[in-house]
Amino acid sequence: MTAVEVGPSHMPSFVYVLSVDDMRAVSHYVTDKIADIPLQEGDIGHGGEIFRMYCASCHRTAVRGGALAYDGSNAPSLARKSPELIAGAVRWGPGPMPSFPASVIDDKQLSSLVTYIRAVQNPASPGGFALNWYGPVVEGCVAWIVVLGLVGFTIWIEKGGKG
Amino acid sequence: MIGFLARTLDNRLRASKFLRSAINHVFPDHWSFMLGEIALYCFVILVATGIFLAMFYDGSSAKVIYHGSYGPLRGVEMDKALESVIHICFDVPAGLLIRQIHHWAANVFIGAILVHQARIFFTAAFRKPRELNWVVGMTLLILAIVNGYLGYSICGDLLSGAGMRIGYSIMLSIPVIGPWITFLFMGGTVPVDATLPRMYALHIFLVPALITLLIVIHLGIVWRQMHTNYPGPHRTNKTIVGSRLWPSYTLKSLGLFLLIFAVLAALGGLVQIDPVWVYGPYNPVAILPGAQPDWYLGWIEGAMRLFPGVHIASSGKLWFPEVFFPAVLFPMGLFILLYLYPFLDELFTFDAREHHVLRLPWEQPFNTAFGCGLIALLVVLEFAGGDDVVALAGNYSVVEIRDILRILVFVVPVITWAVAYVLCRRARRRHLERQKIEIVESIAGPGCSARPADSSAEVMEPQA
Amino acid sequence: MKERDQGDRVSEPCGTEAPATSADVFREGKRSRLPGSLLAVGVLLWEWAAKTERSQPHRSPSPESANPLPGGEECGETANRGALPSRVLEVEPVSHEQIGTFLVVCAFLVALGGGIGFLITYWTGGSNLLLGAMLALFSAGMGMALILWSHLLTLNKQVVEPREQMQPPPQERESVVEDFQAGAGQIHRRGILKWMIAGGVGTIAAVVMSMFRSLGQSPDSTIYSRVWKRGQRLMTSEGKPVSIHMLVPGSTVIVFPEGSIGSEKAQTVLLRVDEGLLQLPSDRTDWAPNGNLAFSRVCTHAGCAVGMYETTTHQLMCPCHQSTFDVLRGAEPSGGPAARALPQLPLYADSDGVLRAGGGFSDIPGPGYWGMP
Repeated sequence: MTAVEVGPSHMPSFVYVLSVDDMRAVSHYVTDKIADIPLQEGDIGHGGEIFRMYCASCHRTAVRGGALAYDGSNAPSLARKSPELIAGAVRWGPGPMPSFPASVIDDKQLSSLVTYIRAVQNPASPGGFALNWYGPVVEGCVAWIVVLGLVGFTIWIEKGGKG
Repeated sequence: MIGFLARTLDNRLRASKFLRSAINHVFPDHWSFMLGEIALYCFVILVATGIFLAMFYDGSSAKVIYHGSYGPLRGVEMDKALESVIHICFDVPAGLLIRQIHHWAANVFIGAILVHQARIFFTAAFRKPRELNWVVGMTLLILAIVNGYLGYSICGDLLSGAGMRIGYSIMLSIPVIGPWITFLFMGGTVPVDATLPRMYALHIFLVPALITLLIVIHLGIVWRQMHTNYPGPHRTNKTIVGSRLWPSYTLKSLGLFLLIFAVLAALGGLVQIDPVWVYGPYNPVAILPGAQPDWYLGWIEGAMRLFPGVHIASSGKLWFPEVFFPAVLFPMGLFILLYLYPFLDELFTFDAREHHVLRLPWEQPFNTAFGCGLIALLVVLEFAGGDDVVALAGNYSVVEIRDILRILVFVVPVITWAVAYVLCRRARRRHLERQKIEIVESIAGPGCSARPADSSAEVMEPQA
Repeated sequence: MKERDQGDRVSEPCGTEAPATSADVFREGKRSRLPGSLLAVGVLLWEWAAKTERSQPHRSPSPESANPLPGGEECGETANRGALPSRVLEVEPVSHEQIGTFLVVCAFLVALGGGIGFLITYWTGGSNLLLGAMLALFSAGMGMALILWSHLLTLNKQVVEPREQMQPPPQERESVVEDFQAGAGQIHRRGILKWMIAGGVGTIAAVVMSMFRSLGQSPDSTIYSRVWKRGQRLMTSEGKPVSIHMLVPGSTVIVFPEGSIGSEKAQTVLLRVDEGLLQLPSDRTDWAPNGNLAFSRVCTHAGCAVGMYETTTHQLMCPCHQSTFDVLRGAEPSGGPAARALPQLPLYADSDGVLRAGGGFSDIPGPGYWGMP
């Protein structure tokens, strides 16, 4: 498998990279099969529902990818993928990813799906620093750092009073 | 003005005598005695922020179509509970801040309880007469964990919904009574609309009330029995050394509370936690990887991931499903052991006397080693609970990580136990040697290293 | 001096007066000039502390007999504080008072800034970051002020007190027992009262216990159900029937029985593999027409949806605890914590090429329980 990158993102080596053949297949899909689909005008809510049913299990709801098991690669992040690449990957199913032909996800649904993915490529984080969207594991690490920091505060509070 | 208020109350309550002993209550001057307060103040903040959130949260699992301010979820069907949470986050002024302070405070609360419990454990403060308080404290820990689980589950998002489904399966796997109590408490077969409202009721009524009651008992016992002391000059079983509640301890304690609130407010403002709008509504047909519970349940999650697919079946029927062992038997066994620990300690040290002076960690090699080994085990399990996040972040295969951890989960605690034990024995031996030299020098003058015929100075009771 | 100053009779080591402080200057000067209730409250607290802490009458050494503690120092005290005589071990005098006061005031000013900042941010609809940062600043400022106060402006006094032993002397307990038994004797005069009370308690317990039933239902036959019936069509989540040619090898779709679309227990994953790769058990060879395989999507470990499908290794994986199932061998567990295979659905194609179930699942879907067949 040649390490040819497709799309603007730089993917680390363990993540699946599209081979030259896959690239050709994807661009074949892009030009022939999905070129006419308006990829950014779908129903965003419906696209989200499809995403959570089919895609979130590997790519996470924050579209940052997920760990797979035996294939030798992990599901890549979709954060910086173009709509054409996403649509092509859905139809083609590169590597360990299953393919979703038009009989499963028709063109209208594909359009909604891509619209949704594009909308959450930078998910809203009004709460502050998003910890790279890893979830409760990293939140727990932060909580422990804070707890130890608070223990440090108590040490200072008690010791600082003496001499 | 304060004097006027005080006199008014005193004329009606005659509280002077009590107040006098209260403000003069002696607190030992060591930072490790303030760790429980971190937990206490986190709880206060949790209640305060929780009251705010309860004004806006709707604990209903009735389905509704979202039409609010968060674009990517418009038109999506979700529980009313999730809609109200998203409303708090995006529309209520300071709602997101209070919600994040609440969730961060919950995470920090349990961490503080564990740090406090570790101090009690490693200094053997649980000995008579404080076994009672240890039992109360363990119950507080369990209630805090339960309330944390209930709290993030009632948002109705995909992540916590998956957690609820797993909790349902764990309850189902309890032998004999599993299906009965699951149907009873959860309200039926999954997915159950009845579960969320009753979890809400538990989360804001029953469990906080129990926690408050137990905290009052916990502090009351501490007040009545008075704190312990580290070994040192003037510190005996019959005296207590420290500084008075007023003014020094009051100022420090209040200052600590404000600092804790400052840290939690900074977290709430600057670091995002539990972004439910990204997870989306719970749909049992959907799932996401990285579906971990909050960190205080990560050890059970890790146990569930590492435990191999072993179940007990016979004559065509399944008796003990595979989740029973890591998720029911192991935690229950651990909690029972911890509950009984002070009594076991009394049994194995043949020492049921009253103790008000602490045992330093190296004076009790078995205790300390056991504690270190247990902490090592829990850390490995927590790591295992997050192994798919580690695999993703480092681009490893999660299966390889799991296989390595299946070995580490045995090796690391045993090594930690052994190392801690050896270090403690060595430290204790060194300390005893030094003490003997000091005694000899005090009798016979400095520089004399002859050992006395019999060492009549008994300084500590050595632990087995 | 007001009465409350009598509370603390501890004096510094003999011969020293409480050092003159700039407290008075502070009180007279700054309080009247600086605005802000925060500062006023802080000053009030400080003032009260200063009065009780610093303005002590000097006491002469107390007689030894009043000091029960061994190894007494010259200065002791006789005041009974909560009925326990106590003794001062050491006192650290306050030093650097000017700096201390200055620092405390600075901390208060920071807190004030944070508070005002928070109010401004809140009323102008500011961002979460700013709100949190301002609140943190306010709280940190107040906290630092109090702590610096305690560090730099209050005496650090170590005292030693005798403590009450928790083991009561025998006569204390006996008096309680006597009083209790005196009263209990009157209750127990009629033996039947004992049984009445027991009966009453038992009835209340039974009433409370049975009200638990309102919480939920008993497990019914649904826990034994294999969900599908022979002949039911497979439907997508949109309600479209699934034909045998819908999928190509390497693709997958989520299906439900007709009439139970969206049902958690009934969710099924339909996937298609090359027929030549199949290694199904011998009694299932006709369950996969054209390589179409259907399995229950509820993980047999803990019930999550088995949503991950790796086409290259033909593994279904559950993201919750990484249970993997080998599709080619009938979703047998291939590693990970699951112990039971995903139940497989027998399939056949009817005359229109629509896929239908050939019966129920091969096993009860979902995680196991005691007595599961």
